[in-house]
Amino acid sequence: MSLLRVGSSVAIIALAVIWTVIVLAAESQWQVLAALVVAAVAIFAFSRMRAGRDLAFTLNDSGPSIIAIIPLAVLVVAFAIHQDHFQLMMLASVLIYGIACVGLTVQFGYAGVINFAGAAFFGIGGYTAAVLGSTGVPSLLTLLAGGLTAAMIGCIIILPVLRTKGHYAALITIAFGLLFRSFLEVNHTLGGPQGLKVEGASIAGRSLLNGIQLGTLEPSFYFNYVLLALAAFTLFFLLARNLEKSWIGLNLDAVREDTIGASVFGINVAAWRIFAFVAGNFLIGVAGALFAMMQNFIAPSNFTFSDSLLMLSIIVLGGIGNLWAVLPAAILVVVLPEKLQGIGEYRIFVFAILVVLVLRFRPAGLFPRSMRQFRREVGQ
Amino acid sequence: MNQLFSARDVSVRFGGVHAVDNLSLDIVEGSITGLIGPNGSGKTTFFNAITGLCKLAGGRIAIDGQEIGGLQPREIYGFGVTRTFQRSRLCLSLSVFDNIVIGRQNALDLGLIGNLLRRRRFNEAVRENHERVHALLMAFSEPLARRIFDPLHSLSMIDRRRIEVCRALIAEPRLLLLDEPSAGMTPDETREFMDDILNVRKNNPRMSIVIIEHEMDLMQRVAERCVVLNYGRMVADGTFETVVADPWVQEAYLGTS
Amino acid sequence: MAILFEYFFNGAVLGIMYALVAVGFTLFFGVLDVIKFSHGDVLTLGAFSGLVAFLALQLTGLDLPVIGLVIVLVAACIVTGLVGAAIGQFFVIPMRNSSAFNILLMTLMIGTAIREAIRLFYPTGANPKAFPALLPNSPVEIGGVFLRLDSLILLALGFAIVFLTHWLIRHTKLGLAIRAVAQDGDTAQVMGIPFKQTVLATFALGSMLAGIAGVMHGIYYSEINFGVGLLLGIIGFSAAVLGGLGSIWGAIIGGFAFAALQTIWVVLFPDASGYRDVFAFAAIIVAMTIFPTGIIAERYSERV
Repeated sequence: MSLLRVGSSVAIIALAVIWTVIVLAAESQWQVLAALVVAAVAIFAFSRMRAGRDLAFTLNDSGPSIIAIIPLAVLVVAFAIHQDHFQLMMLASVLIYGIACVGLTVQFGYAGVINFAGAAFFGIGGYTAAVLGSTGVPSLLTLLAGGLTAAMIGCIIILPVLRTKGHYAALITIAFGLLFRSFLEVNHTLGGPQGLKVEGASIAGRSLLNGIQLGTLEPSFYFNYVLLALAAFTLFFLLARNLEKSWIGLNLDAVREDTIGASVFGINVAAWRIFAFVAGNFLIGVAGALFAMMQNFIAPSNFTFSDSLLMLSIIVLGGIGNLWAVLPAAILVVVLPEKLQGIGEYRIFVFAILVVLVLRFRPAGLFPRSMRQFRREVGQ
Repeated sequence: MNQLFSARDVSVRFGGVHAVDNLSLDIVEGSITGLIGPNGSGKTTFFNAITGLCKLAGGRIAIDGQEIGGLQPREIYGFGVTRTFQRSRLCLSLSVFDNIVIGRQNALDLGLIGNLLRRRRFNEAVRENHERVHALLMAFSEPLARRIFDPLHSLSMIDRRRIEVCRALIAEPRLLLLDEPSAGMTPDETREFMDDILNVRKNNPRMSIVIIEHEMDLMQRVAERCVVLNYGRMVADGTFETVVADPWVQEAYLGTS
Repeated sequence: MAILFEYFFNGAVLGIMYALVAVGFTLFFGVLDVIKFSHGDVLTLGAFSGLVAFLALQLTGLDLPVIGLVIVLVAACIVTGLVGAAIGQFFVIPMRNSSAFNILLMTLMIGTAIREAIRLFYPTGANPKAFPALLPNSPVEIGGVFLRLDSLILLALGFAIVFLTHWLIRHTKLGLAIRAVAQDGDTAQVMGIPFKQTVLATFALGSMLAGIAGVMHGIYYSEINFGVGLLLGIIGFSAAVLGGLGSIWGAIIGGFAFAALQTIWVVLFPDASGYRDVFAFAAIIVAMTIFPTGIIAERYSERV
């Protein structure tokens, strides 16, 4: 019975992997559109069928080893497209935005702390990587520094975010995001509107720009970035999932649902909101640093308010608070505009309308978050 | 009997309204005190003042002689004060287990390492807490105990009231404040519910309970002492029988003279 | 001295525009306790509708001075009023029981959709558009200071609209309904006040104010840009918060306070005018930190 459940779940994930390869490798826009229709029908069908519920159950109530499914699935996709620079870069971008959205999930999905300045913290990570790139700091340390800088600069607006509630806190993060961008535009030491060049990543003295040899395969150098982004994503995903299934995750939920009830039961509401905000900004900063290294170049126009909204779109479309929904939704938001040149220019318009419709008619998102249960832990 | 709780000249004001007006009340360990009075007489506001949810305009509140007036709600929890709410304040999207285990805040390990990395030990903690929550639920209702991992929003209003009391009880408080715990229940259900609470109290006989209730039968049965509030002031204090006989109370509360 | 007066005067014109936006936020929050973040982009829509109306007038050769202004304002009001009411009808009212964040994000996204639609579908919408000078902009001398006549008229117009709105809220049946719903929607409904119609009327009214502010903005700067709504919306919302969300006069005071801050920055640091926006956003963050519930505290009670 449990085997059957796992079997159908594996089948769904295999289909999703094939679907992703087809979309990434699609040559014509019609192929992408057809794939989209198939996906829409499949999501609709599975969400009503047993198989869909089984998948949600398998993903949420298995032990930590289930997370291995992520590197497995992504590696299959990566090998399938190993020669194409552009497709691999898109895959790496999906993973990098995925890291940032895990951060947003911790902030908003768990603790209910609104952050409309995602792109700004992403940018702080990127600019940190740009500044450190020429100093010879090892790349992994640069990633860490990007995260730490974003977390620290985020502390500037902790006080106003804590003192105000709901709408007001949102306004503060919006103002901060716009402030960041205006500042970059007029500040010449950070390159002004032209931006900065960023040194590519290198690990153990080996630049990622040198392709690696895998048996008879000679993949594009972007393959290296996929591997790096995949390692980071998997690590943060594991930590975030453990966080959700822990007393801390429980406290964050309590803080989000009812601050008064939480405080009466001894929960330090302010401390947990700070924790979620700082931890989330750290992840977003790491993602930004990695993105900058891969792109070799950043400019203020990469970090607009619309980009913050796109990041939020990923978690809202996927399903607020559902970590497993981050990657599929990131594929939707990151890859589709690139593949459908027709909507490239219109992408913010299209996603804005899509998010409005999802919020209006399916507010829990395409893949709603499952309730935390400790059945497995207590042996039920 | 040791004195547990003491309020001296406590006042709470909303604008110009004296919601609680120079109220003084002492409570000894292991007692059950009923708080009665018409709507708007300041009963719930007094609970809010004790748990730190509203600011004192004057007066002092102490547990064991230690001042708790002006502390944050979460600090007051640390003194062993828990409560239920008139309009239930539970997390609808969480499971029954999650909602109750929140009450054990001080007993949970909240360290990052313990939660994120040492998962085996964390799982043990889950099992231990599950046993406690399950045992407590069993004291109230066996069918409810079987639904320990059901989402709270799937529960009936009456079961939610039970969960709220469980959340307050599992902390093993020294002072339990119940704000109309039986609202919406039939007299039979109310009686059963109260008996369950008293049963659980046997494990923790030093716990004191203050209960706000409109159900007079219940008050007569469980409250060793009744305190009557009107316009934020105490108008009577004594056993149920003496309080009910008081002409002040008859006029203010029961509406007859 | 004369220069200072000029700054003061320009700040006042800015202030009245901010105030008009802030009053809209205050009205919405009053009747439905929601923040409609699409408000700033509705303003842009108003300005562009006015522009289109003017271009149409030009084609028909009817662009006479006073009538031109009136028709542009009317067009802006019609479009913004309809769009505002439609957003209320189809998106905000059906969502009013969901979480504050969902409403916030949804209205932000509606605003984004409007903003992007203008950029994409208005011919060369990504570039700033010249806004017609609908008012005579000859200089006028007042006590040795030269001021632009159109700015003077704008200031007077703004104040007239504010007083008109105040009168509407205080002395008409609609105003009574709005105040009743703002006090307590359920009770108002029991008393026979049509809740939905009142809310929609409020949304239309508030959005019209934004439309007028948009036209004023266009005339004042002689150009209009698809992105102005974002900044104006944020400043207007901050002004409303500063004024205590729920009081019209508070919103107006908040609007002028922001204009004063910006003007003071330009007077004190004329060389750092590039940092003007940075300062404006920083001012918002600082102001909200110091007055999280406004200078005039919002009536605030959490039921326990």
